[in-house]
Amino acid sequence: MKKWSFFTLAGFICLALAGAPAAVAASDTLVVMQEAEPVGLDLMQSSIQTTMSVCYNIHDTLFHPQEDASVLPALAEKWEKIDDLTWKITLRKDAVFHNGEPVNAAAVKFSYDRANNDALKNPHRGKLSAFTELKVIDDYTFTIKTEQPYAPGLYMLGYYLPIVPPKYIQEVGDSKYNTDPIGSGPYRLKKWVRGEEIVLEAFDKYYGPQPAYKNLIFKASPEEASRIAALLTGEAQVISGIPVHQRKKIQDSGKAYLTPQMGVMPYIGINTYEAPFDDVRIRQAINYAIDKELINKALFDGQAIICAGPISPRTFGASPNLKPYPYDPDKSRALLKEAGHPDGIQARLAYPTYMSQIQEQAEAIAANMGKAGINVTLEPFERAVMWERYKGKKHQLYIYWWDDAPEPDRYMYSLFNSKSRDYYYKNPTVDELLDKGRTIMDRTERAKVYARIDELLYQDAPWAFLYVVPEVFGVANDVDYQGRRDGFLNMRYAKPKM
Amino acid sequence: MLQYLFKRLWHTVYVIIGISVISFFFIHLSGDPVMLMLPGDASHQEIEDLRQQLGFNDPIYVQYLRFAWQALRGEFGQSLYYKIPAMQLILERLPASLELAAAAMLIALVVAVPIGIISAVRRGSLLDMGSMFGALFGLSMPHFWLGIMLIMIFSVRLGWLPTSGRGTLAHLIMPSVALGLSLMAMFARLTRSVMLEVLSLDYIRTARSKGLKERIVVSKHAFKNALIPLVTVAGMQFGFLLGGTVIIETVFAWPGVGRLVVQAIFNRDYPLVQAVVLVLAVIFVAVNFIVDMLYMYLDPQISYFEDK
Repeated sequence: MKKWSFFTLAGFICLALAGAPAAVAASDTLVVMQEAEPVGLDLMQSSIQTTMSVCYNIHDTLFHPQEDASVLPALAEKWEKIDDLTWKITLRKDAVFHNGEPVNAAAVKFSYDRANNDALKNPHRGKLSAFTELKVIDDYTFTIKTEQPYAPGLYMLGYYLPIVPPKYIQEVGDSKYNTDPIGSGPYRLKKWVRGEEIVLEAFDKYYGPQPAYKNLIFKASPEEASRIAALLTGEAQVISGIPVHQRKKIQDSGKAYLTPQMGVMPYIGINTYEAPFDDVRIRQAINYAIDKELINKALFDGQAIICAGPISPRTFGASPNLKPYPYDPDKSRALLKEAGHPDGIQARLAYPTYMSQIQEQAEAIAANMGKAGINVTLEPFERAVMWERYKGKKHQLYIYWWDDAPEPDRYMYSLFNSKSRDYYYKNPTVDELLDKGRTIMDRTERAKVYARIDELLYQDAPWAFLYVVPEVFGVANDVDYQGRRDGFLNMRYAKPKM
Repeated sequence: MLQYLFKRLWHTVYVIIGISVISFFFIHLSGDPVMLMLPGDASHQEIEDLRQQLGFNDPIYVQYLRFAWQALRGEFGQSLYYKIPAMQLILERLPASLELAAAAMLIALVVAVPIGIISAVRRGSLLDMGSMFGALFGLSMPHFWLGIMLIMIFSVRLGWLPTSGRGTLAHLIMPSVALGLSLMAMFARLTRSVMLEVLSLDYIRTARSKGLKERIVVSKHAFKNALIPLVTVAGMQFGFLLGGTVIIETVFAWPGVGRLVVQAIFNRDYPLVQAVVLVLAVIFVAVNFIVDMLYMYLDPQISYFEDK
């Protein structure tokens, strides 16, 4: 090779390596890597987990929801129940938006009206549907009413009513606000290079404790191996989306640790309107046919929590009297015979291909059921088709998932109340109890109602109940961060490890 | 010349129209995007209202004509998923795709062409056999696996390069090498094959018999004729690289158009899919036009223009 070519090439390599970023970010900067980039930065325009994670660093709400479904003050300083249907809430006076606008009762009213605006199509509107009216009393006080007593009210406000700046939104419009938001949270948006990174910086006038990291950078990497590599090289200090079989690698690396977050609760929905699944014995037979312990051991390293009924064992209101359906193919066959199917039945099991480890789960479940005389044809569908067929009531059996939130109403109402969805199951008694459960303010009494719901659904088996798979975040050893059950990467709680 | 250019432009127009019609109908056949845009507990009325608002209840040919009319005015609609103009999203991602495609192409050509030439000149040698085996290996290796291996070795083990993302030249190295490897293999085999054919022609024998140095015979006389098929394939591959690198983009979190369009298809984001397909079609046609023009430079016997 000629000398000039050699030196040119060597120079090229040095230039390239000189441009390589420092393997470890500066100590005042935290890099978080998720599976996907946010689609926008307005909490009222998206319900995607990765989007909401970033948003909760920019936006604040009235309350900070806690792991036990209670709330702590955030923008709301104090609150009281005037009557069963009305809360009077007083805002703190030192909160401002990132552009200097005050966080006041007018802003709360604007935010509430915006959340319910038909044109915006807020995906969280349904979660606030119990609220009927918000009235401003003075600059920092307002009342909010519900149609009936609503126990999870403050919890829902804590997640789904971000307080937004009226003047700014009226100036820029909803579309621009989605890409260039102003909030009142501990971080403000510095820049968003779409496809590459979202850079947030600490808001110096934040009313609460200043976040420990001055700069917060969100990146996205769809490939799990790349995310894990980024954690191990120090390019990212916190990552999400770690499948079970990769967790030991992180733990053994000596460079990072795992912290639990949201639990993913897959379930098999059953079309109770279609024969033979309209017979409860068939549905119970399905439950007895699945070897959840074996699936847990083989696919989740024993880390999944086996569910008895639809309410996660980690959520208050799960009945303490229930034991998970045991694996008993003989019992399953006996139930099939009793229901008039001594030779077994055919069933179609649909599953969405984008779910993590779903194919292995579906195949294992199908194999289990086959041994019990339930011959399953698997139907993998991509996301849009799966959802369309779901809403079109075309599935016989289907696998979907939910997250096991601390507040049972958050998912039980949505999944089982026929006012919310009745595509595959409807039970007036369950409807009544779900309506009742959200109106009882006393937690112990509420727990009894949800326990009753849990037991009813366990017996009626509109689902084959499976397990909760606790998800984790990977965190670098020099960062102190504990994941939360809502699964959101709220980095105001992260700090350097001493 | 003007006549030729006009003819090419006309061909381009109906190619673009054909592609837009096909992609429009296919994406609409995939199903209804409205279901994905509304929450799970949206009522039937809400779904119908949104469908009406977005014009999805109109006959499909009406929807296409509306899209075509807007496209002629440079309006490609708003992404249903991202809620910003579709063209804005594409223009944000296109530079990254062009950068990756160009880098992969450069690496592939710089490495593959000399290897192909040497393999042809030293046919049957160890170098020839080794390079063709390497080419086979490069063609067979899955991009996904190669990408992960590169990250494990050069990022995790050695700490030389960043794992993923875009920003510096260092970020570009691994994805372009991963992408370039299969191109390298293809170009090396093609170059060897064409060179072998050219080197057996009479005029090469004449050049050698005139006492010209072998280096001049190969590089000046033989290689120039081998360029035409190489340029053709390179042009086509460049077009494919722009939209077809979704695996590399996923492994390396490279913010290109490939991943954007695949996600848009899964999300049934009609406006974005249609806009991407149109843009890529235009670029593909433009690249092929440039390739055709290059032929005239490479082979003066080729001319598209009538003699005056």
